[in-house]
Amino acid sequence: MAEPVISFEQVTKRFGGLTAVDNLSFAVPAGGIFGFLGGNGAGKTTSLRMALDILAPTSGRIAVLGAAPSRENAAAIGFLPEERGLYRRMTVLDTIVYFARLKRMQAGAARKAALQLLERLDLADRAKTPVVKLSKGLAQKVQVATALVNSPRLLLLDEPFSGLDPVNQGVLEELVTEAARGGATVIFSTHVMQHAERLCDRLLLLAKGRKVFEGTQDDARQALPSRLTLTARSDPAGLPGVAEAAEIASSEAGWRSFDLKLQPGASAAGLLENCTTNAFPLREFNVRAPTLHEVFIHFVGAEKEAAS
Amino acid sequence: MRAVLLVAAREIRQVIGTRGFWVMLLVVPLALAISGFASSKLAPERSSAYIIVDKSGRFAPELDRRLELGYQQDALHQLSEYVARWNLAGIDPRAPWANPQAWLSESEVERFVNAGGADAAVARLQPHVPPGAAKLAVPQRYFVAVPPPAGVPTERGADAFGRGIAGVLQNDAVTPQGKFPYALAIYIPRTYGQPGATAHVWTSGRPDTGLLGEVRDDLTSTLRRQALESSGMPATAAAQVQAMVAPIAVSEPPPGQGRSLIATRSIVPIALVYLLLITAITTGSMMLQGLVEERSNKLIESVLACIKPDALMRGKLLGLGAVGMGIILVWAGCAAGAAFAFHGATSDFLRPSLEAIDNPWLVLAMLFYFVSGYLILSMVFLAIGSVSDSIQDAQSYLSPVLMLVMIPVIIMMQAALRSPDELIVQVLSWIPFYTPFAMLARLGTGVSMPEIVGTSVLLVVFMALELVFLGRLFRASLLGAGKPAWSEIVAKIRSAEAGR
Repeated sequence: MAEPVISFEQVTKRFGGLTAVDNLSFAVPAGGIFGFLGGNGAGKTTSLRMALDILAPTSGRIAVLGAAPSRENAAAIGFLPEERGLYRRMTVLDTIVYFARLKRMQAGAARKAALQLLERLDLADRAKTPVVKLSKGLAQKVQVATALVNSPRLLLLDEPFSGLDPVNQGVLEELVTEAARGGATVIFSTHVMQHAERLCDRLLLLAKGRKVFEGTQDDARQALPSRLTLTARSDPAGLPGVAEAAEIASSEAGWRSFDLKLQPGASAAGLLENCTTNAFPLREFNVRAPTLHEVFIHFVGAEKEAAS
Repeated sequence: MRAVLLVAAREIRQVIGTRGFWVMLLVVPLALAISGFASSKLAPERSSAYIIVDKSGRFAPELDRRLELGYQQDALHQLSEYVARWNLAGIDPRAPWANPQAWLSESEVERFVNAGGADAAVARLQPHVPPGAAKLAVPQRYFVAVPPPAGVPTERGADAFGRGIAGVLQNDAVTPQGKFPYALAIYIPRTYGQPGATAHVWTSGRPDTGLLGEVRDDLTSTLRRQALESSGMPATAAAQVQAMVAPIAVSEPPPGQGRSLIATRSIVPIALVYLLLITAITTGSMMLQGLVEERSNKLIESVLACIKPDALMRGKLLGLGAVGMGIILVWAGCAAGAAFAFHGATSDFLRPSLEAIDNPWLVLAMLFYFVSGYLILSMVFLAIGSVSDSIQDAQSYLSPVLMLVMIPVIIMMQAALRSPDELIVQVLSWIPFYTPFAMLARLGTGVSMPEIVGTSVLLVVFMALELVFLGRLFRASLLGAGKPAWSEIVAKIRSAEAGR
């Protein structure tokens, strides 16, 4: 297996008496889009800052692109922080070139890459415009450009969609998927599950600084008992794998509809097979996979209960 | 180092892109130009006219003689300074104007007058004036006697003359030498000197006290001589008594020496203290504004993902330091230009001071203290900017800090001008925060080498500690939000791991 782009091994970060990240271990494989999910205060931003060497872990080990976090990696990393801002009096082009130069690009290459990026972002005619004269949406685009200008191998986006209108969210999603298609590994943190659902190949779910889940979206959904609606003549509560069966409707012909919750690990396919094998008559068998939102609520809720 | 230079370059571009920077940069050249213009064009008219009606016929000639002698003495003084400034003494080393102190000697002034006075001296010197030297001209007379204008009655007594002259005094007298404002008019009655007879003086409202004094001395002197004669003293003896002058030999240190040396040598260093304060506070405020913008705009995190906080801090210090030095160089260049390329009051003030800075070690020491002072203050501004979300936040930290800097420095500078040995100057020299200011203020008058070395070592140690401790505060506060309490600031300064 290829070396992970980022790996955390038992990483803890404390600020005085507050533990922001608690014994966190995970690895992000190269390529694809990795979601860093969690509510407010889950430790997402702290983890990203540690990966960028802005903060140092209290304990544990972090590797980024095969080395300890350091500004030496800046040339290969693009970063979009949650709270964004730009030098207001600098022009759009100068801003992007400045960040490219901070990421160790040569002046000529930085300017060329910046102009190409502005072309792609439909901002070429604003190259000489001071940032202060841009709309918020355009300024956000410029900020994204500062993260992408060095064609990073690793793109770290901290709550990238916050503050963007739906149109610009769409533009950013496109840029993110494009970067991933171009071979970059994209890691983004969010607490908006729809974005993660649309973009992420793999997920890391954090709650109160601790990892509560790591895996693919399918893995995440399977971690939650499937729910299904079943219409039968008999009560399915006794069938193998059924955790709960609540009757929701009945008809004159003796058919009754049930909302079923399966036991963890039990599959809807197994239940259907069992019904067929045992001549359990069915008129409807409708499986509903849990949404990522439900998965999130499930894990974070469980964490809250554990914490309390 | 690359990142430091990039940050420095951005800071420089940001600062020089502001109007405030250009206004500040141009303030000193503009002030020098205005002062030069003002001294040449707007200087008050030194000459004034007077009218004397001497019905007795005994006083006017003596007054004219007195005023002429005073004028020639002053002209000799001015010409001897000009000769010394442009090295013209070699033309005639024995001439009174070749000796800078000749004007203090009665006999030398007399020799000067007998040789033709100011007119003859200027005619003698004129062919030898080197190209580029200030214009040589016969000094203007302070007092020009003019006859009473036609229509002013002089034969009908003092009152009639007074009524006629009152309006005239508000205008200018037109003479072949030019137009001069009237200073006063004098009417001396025929019976002046007898009991009850009074000389009348009318002024324009702005009387020349010097001229008034001369008039009084002349009348008094003549009356005394007459009194001596009427008491039986022969006229010759009475005249000799009146002409007696107490023999006093006045000796001055050579030009530019003595107390004037202290003042001359102190001008540049003390000006540097002012410049240090002005530029460090101005550019420090610019840096502070920039940092507050970075912090409040939340763009600092993007920057910190690329470079270390230390590099950001050093880059800012370097950039703003370069701006400050640039300003100083432009100002110093303008001052040197004004001193050596132009003529007038400003250049006369600056030139000897700049010429006094002739020791390379003195220049080096001044440069060291200046840069150190700049760095110390800039670090303070940087630290304040790093803990402030807004200019209002910054002001609340800045005000006490500025008071802490300004008040002792201003008191110290006043003391240093009185005497460089004042206790406060000596004490502040050894408090590193004030060392650059105190030592700069004292350098012109001579400071012992052990004291320079001792204070410098202490200063370097202090700057290193300041960089470490305020660097911690800077690093720890960049990503923070809100205005921390003083206790939090102290905690951040004390913790080597703060902000990590």
